[in-house]
Amino acid sequence: MLRRVMLLGLLCAGSSLAAGPDPVAGQYLFRAAGCENCHTDREHGGAWLAGGRELLTPLGVFYSPNITPDPDTGIGRWREADFLRAMRHGRGPDGRHYYPSFPYAAYTRLSDADLRALWAYLRSVPPVRQANRPHELPWYLKYRALLAGWKLLYFKPGPYTPEPGKGASWNRGAYLVQAAGHCGECHTPRNRLGGFRIGLYLAGDKAGAEGGVVPNITPDPKTGIGRWSRGELIDYLKTGMRPDGDFAGGLMAEVIDNGLKHLSQQDLEAIATYLQSVPPVEHAVRKPKPKPTRDEFGY
Amino acid sequence: MKQAISKLLLLGLAAGLATPALADDEEVIKYRKNVMKAYGAHMAAAGAIVQGKVKGSLVGHARAMEATTKNMAAMFPAGSDFGETNALDTVWSKRADFEKRAKDTEAKAAAFAKAAGGSDAAAKFRELSDSCKACHKDYRKEQK
Ligand code: HEC
Ligand code: HEC
Ligand code: HEC
Repeated sequence: MLRRVMLLGLLCAGSSLAAGPDPVAGQYLFRAAGCENCHTDREHGGAWLAGGRELLTPLGVFYSPNITPDPDTGIGRWREADFLRAMRHGRGPDGRHYYPSFPYAAYTRLSDADLRALWAYLRSVPPVRQANRPHELPWYLKYRALLAGWKLLYFKPGPYTPEPGKGASWNRGAYLVQAAGHCGECHTPRNRLGGFRIGLYLAGDKAGAEGGVVPNITPDPKTGIGRWSRGELIDYLKTGMRPDGDFAGGLMAEVIDNGLKHLSQQDLEAIATYLQSVPPVEHAVRKPKPKPTRDEFGY
Repeated sequence: MKQAISKLLLLGLAAGLATPALADDEEVIKYRKNVMKAYGAHMAAAGAIVQGKVKGSLVGHARAMEATTKNMAAMFPAGSDFGETNALDTVWSKRADFEKRAKDTEAKAAAFAKAAGGSDAAAKFRELSDSCKACHKDYRKEQK
């Protein structure tokens, strides 16, 4: 409890005053941003943050890199400026462009203070020696220079700017969803060039991340989560329980276990406030449930 | 006594499922989905009580969870991996771990049933919830 209060205090201090970067605030953001999910090869018992997790995409297979402070195989030789450039502009210390399978298109919206805190935290994790594994991509996608074209079309660098007409909680929620939580990376469907499909923000993807269904989380009552109460939504983010008593699985269970369940009640409320305010989009991604027939149940 | 009989029946059913005689794969898939839905209904109902949204007793829900989570892995016999199912191949290819998850839920449901009347009920409910999510994390994915 005391830690929570301290943490909140630190967070507030971090964003309003020019306090030095703080690893505790950095850990909070690290969780909200789900870095662990991609950078740890959980399925094969891989070392924490040492990379090697297979990310299956329609373009090919990506293997996440080692982001521990190991000098030779991780990012131990990086300076803060290298990290800020990677997160804000999607470029490596050597200038190469990153593939958008690293969700920097979302992380670019993080504030300077949060990025610095995140860097301070990443410096503090145990270094692991583990070489990176090359991605498995078709030949024409191996040229990173082509990514400059993708960026021109779909990438707008720069931190989140609060919308003046909306309240503080709404803006905090928008920040957590768009910048840190990168919810749209999974919940917004993409076109063939890997750009988000217009008008379908958070409206779900039939064949989304790793081939499964990613549900519509706009407030549409028929195909989205418009019938969920605010309390039910917060409860899902915290525990994974849906209003019908089913439990989150797959990638969302990771997002919750490694991230959302560690957030403060206030931040979960902010996410709910924002999610319930986005435009409802009717977009069915789930298979229609077959209606139970009378003869099956006899009532 | 009555309870013992229904328990026996249940165990019999669950064990029976694993035998080929009953194992029409489509029926097995339908059956386990219905059992899972029943878990969901009890968990949603219990959750409303735990959170104080409604007044009521947790005992019935907890006992039902305890009784019906026994031998869960038997609801996933070999051959029931095809058709209208969201069970991942890993249910069969990583069988030992899958069975460990099922046993964990069984233990958590039993602990919830034991605590249901007391002050520890909410904590035990959460542990059971985490156990449901832990199995879904690795073994279920909604297919298109
Ligand atoms: C959706 C999966 C995913 C998430 C979430 C993710 N990353 Fe990554 N990250 C990647 C992939 C894939 C690459 C490699 C991109 C490439 O090769 O172009 C990468 C690259 C990086 C790099 C560059 C490493 C190098 O050696 O050049 C850093 C640093 C990094 N990520 C840090 C983070 C941090 C910090 C977070 C959380 C805020 C995070 N990542 C979240 C997938 C992810
Ligand atoms: C790595 C991909 C990924 C990310 C990132 C992600 N989600 Fe999800 N989300 C999923 C998947 C997959 C499901 C379906 C879970 C299941 O099958 O149980 C889901 C389910 C949900 C649901 C339940 C909807 C329903 O109808 O069952 C909500 C609400 C949700 N996500 C909100 C969020 C929010 C808020 C964020 C950002 C903080 C987020 N998600 C980030 C993949 C993701
Ligand atoms: C040992 C693994 C495991 C455990 C533990 C588990 N589940 Fe499941 N659950 C599954 C799998 C696999 C499926 C997909 C079944 C299918 O489609 O054939 C599923 C499906 C479901 C469904 C959807 C059923 C449908 O209509 O398709 C619900 C609801 C559900 N589970 C609730 C729960 C609850 C509540 C708990 C905890 C009390 C729980 N489950 C524990 C593995 C598990």
